[in-house]
Amino acid sequence: MKLQRKLVLLTTLSKCLMAAVLLLILPWLVQTLVLGHTDAALRAELRQVQARIEQVGISEFLPQDQVQRRTHYDLLQDEFIDLQATTAKMPPDTIGTFPRQRQGSEVDFRVLRHSARYQGQPYIIEIGKSIESVQEVYKLLRNLAVYALLFVGLTTLLLELGVIGSLLRPFDHIVERLRAVQGPTPPDLPALRTSTSDFQYLDASIQQMLVKIQSVFEQERQFIATASHELLTPISVLQNRFENMLRAENLPEEAETQLVTSQKTLQRMTVTLRTLLLISRVENNQFARTEEVPVRLVLQEVIEELEDRINNEALVIHWNLTGEPVLAPANRSLIFTLFFNLLSNAIKYNQYGGQIELGGYSTPEGGYLLRICNTGKPIPAEHLPFIFERFRRFDEDAAEGYGLGLAVVRSIAQLHHITVQVESDEQRGTEFTLHLPPAA
Amino acid sequence: MNVLIVEDDRALARELGIFLYNEHYYCDFARTGREASEKLFVNEYDFVLLDLGLPDQDGLQLLAQARQERNQKASIIILSARGSVDDRINGLNLGADDYLPKPYSLLELGSRMQAVTRRKHGVVLDKLAFGGFVLSLGDRSLRHSETLLDVTRKEFELLHYLLLHRGKVLTRLQLSEHIWGNTINDSADHDSNYINVHVKNLRKKLAQQDPATEWVETVRGIGYRLRLEANPDLTT
Repeated sequence: MKLQRKLVLLTTLSKCLMAAVLLLILPWLVQTLVLGHTDAALRAELRQVQARIEQVGISEFLPQDQVQRRTHYDLLQDEFIDLQATTAKMPPDTIGTFPRQRQGSEVDFRVLRHSARYQGQPYIIEIGKSIESVQEVYKLLRNLAVYALLFVGLTTLLLELGVIGSLLRPFDHIVERLRAVQGPTPPDLPALRTSTSDFQYLDASIQQMLVKIQSVFEQERQFIATASHELLTPISVLQNRFENMLRAENLPEEAETQLVTSQKTLQRMTVTLRTLLLISRVENNQFARTEEVPVRLVLQEVIEELEDRINNEALVIHWNLTGEPVLAPANRSLIFTLFFNLLSNAIKYNQYGGQIELGGYSTPEGGYLLRICNTGKPIPAEHLPFIFERFRRFDEDAAEGYGLGLAVVRSIAQLHHITVQVESDEQRGTEFTLHLPPAA
Repeated sequence: MNVLIVEDDRALARELGIFLYNEHYYCDFARTGREASEKLFVNEYDFVLLDLGLPDQDGLQLLAQARQERNQKASIIILSARGSVDDRINGLNLGADDYLPKPYSLLELGSRMQAVTRRKHGVVLDKLAFGGFVLSLGDRSLRHSETLLDVTRKEFELLHYLLLHRGKVLTRLQLSEHIWGNTINDSADHDSNYINVHVKNLRKKLAQQDPATEWVETVRGIGYRLRLEANPDLTT
């Protein structure tokens, strides 16, 4: 799961949790709020009533016919004031919720009970307010809360998606950079634009690491180039010496054979060194890529070059190339070598009378997908990831090359931004797929 | 023919000298660019074999200097371990007649020198004949009397090389180097085995026309040789 999703999920979850808690405590909250509010109102009314009594006397509140008690209701019977003379002790002020009959149904009233003396006579004043409206308020508030929470949740979610996305964008950039480092020569990358110090730090560390890696690659390449070059001269000396010795008259047959064998050994060294040099030169960008290379034509040249071997193994070549793929900019001789190595493998590892298919088609992106298949013995699955590595040979048979052919293929492909994939199984044999980039 | 060998490695220069002496060239040696410049100024050479990695200057500079001198008639062949494509192209652009990357076979060098000489003197060897066969370089064909033989390009090149060194034993390596040139291949052994295949096929084709003679002889353990005739009939 991506970090961005995780973060958004986390904030969303925490918001949902808070919303749930809010909704759960809402009834209680409304209850206490409304009750507090009602109580305050009751007290205020009590003060008004007291003031009124002070002004006009108690008799206004007492009915004519009944000195003892009188209950006033407002029109809707939501509130009442009740005044009665008492003989009992004067209880302290209380406030509570009591059910009362109102128009034949029981309704909860919040009642403030207050005792006071007027002209020596103790009275109890009860002021009540129906709290039926509390339910209404609660419903209203709940709906309001739900809508508000939904609105806030959605807007913040969208906002966070955007913000977290843009905050994490540098991370994607950094990953992209790392993925771009395929070979010894990583492409130049634009500077990372972020104000997040963590990312700046990460990027700086990675940059440092890349510089290190590059210098190691560089050293390795330099070493290969120098070593190969330094070794070619002594090999040259030996090879020429053997050649001169072979030309001598009256050489014993034993010696001749020895010389030829030695030459073979030298030749093997030469090929290895030349291949290493080629790889290091390719990776050092010592080859100009300035040509437009017609793929079909080069493939034909390669096939022609290998014609004898193909005939010798009684192989059949199937051409299934559609269109006219062109590699540009490219280096023709390198592309030749690339195809040569792949096809020479397709021949080498094929069975007698087998088949080689050259297929391909243009991709919608403007590139080209080239397939080179052979009907040879499949490459074991455990070897597949390593076949492009230098000096990886899986055949015990030393005559089967030096394990550099595919390493060359890899280097040349990388230089030309060609991706090479390989699949191998019993039914279809071995298939190399080359994704050629669109011609520039 | 006078040859100036410009090479800082003594041992290599020595082997070159031995070979060329056997091929009846007169050799002179220079181990630095300066020495080479002096000798080129004083003497006349038919060939300059030039190593690019000289201790005191880049061989390409020397080449450019030599080519700027008007009366410098020497053919220049670059022999270099710096086998990069650019060096090759630069060398040829600066007026070198040929370019051989180290390590090369002396035989190949000999053939190239002969080819350069022929070009220089306008001698075009278009047809080589042996027995009743005629090898035409122009249209790369092999005929026996009126019959056109169907030979592959590799077989043609093989036969051509054997013909150029008629009577000499050529090792499989020398043959494969000539035929495969510098195609970087992963399997040299494989290639020299392929030489056997080419020879086998070539023999079959020659024998269809001339069953009596084994033209390509096997020299056990070493290589192959094209049989000599009493009178080699070279048509030019």
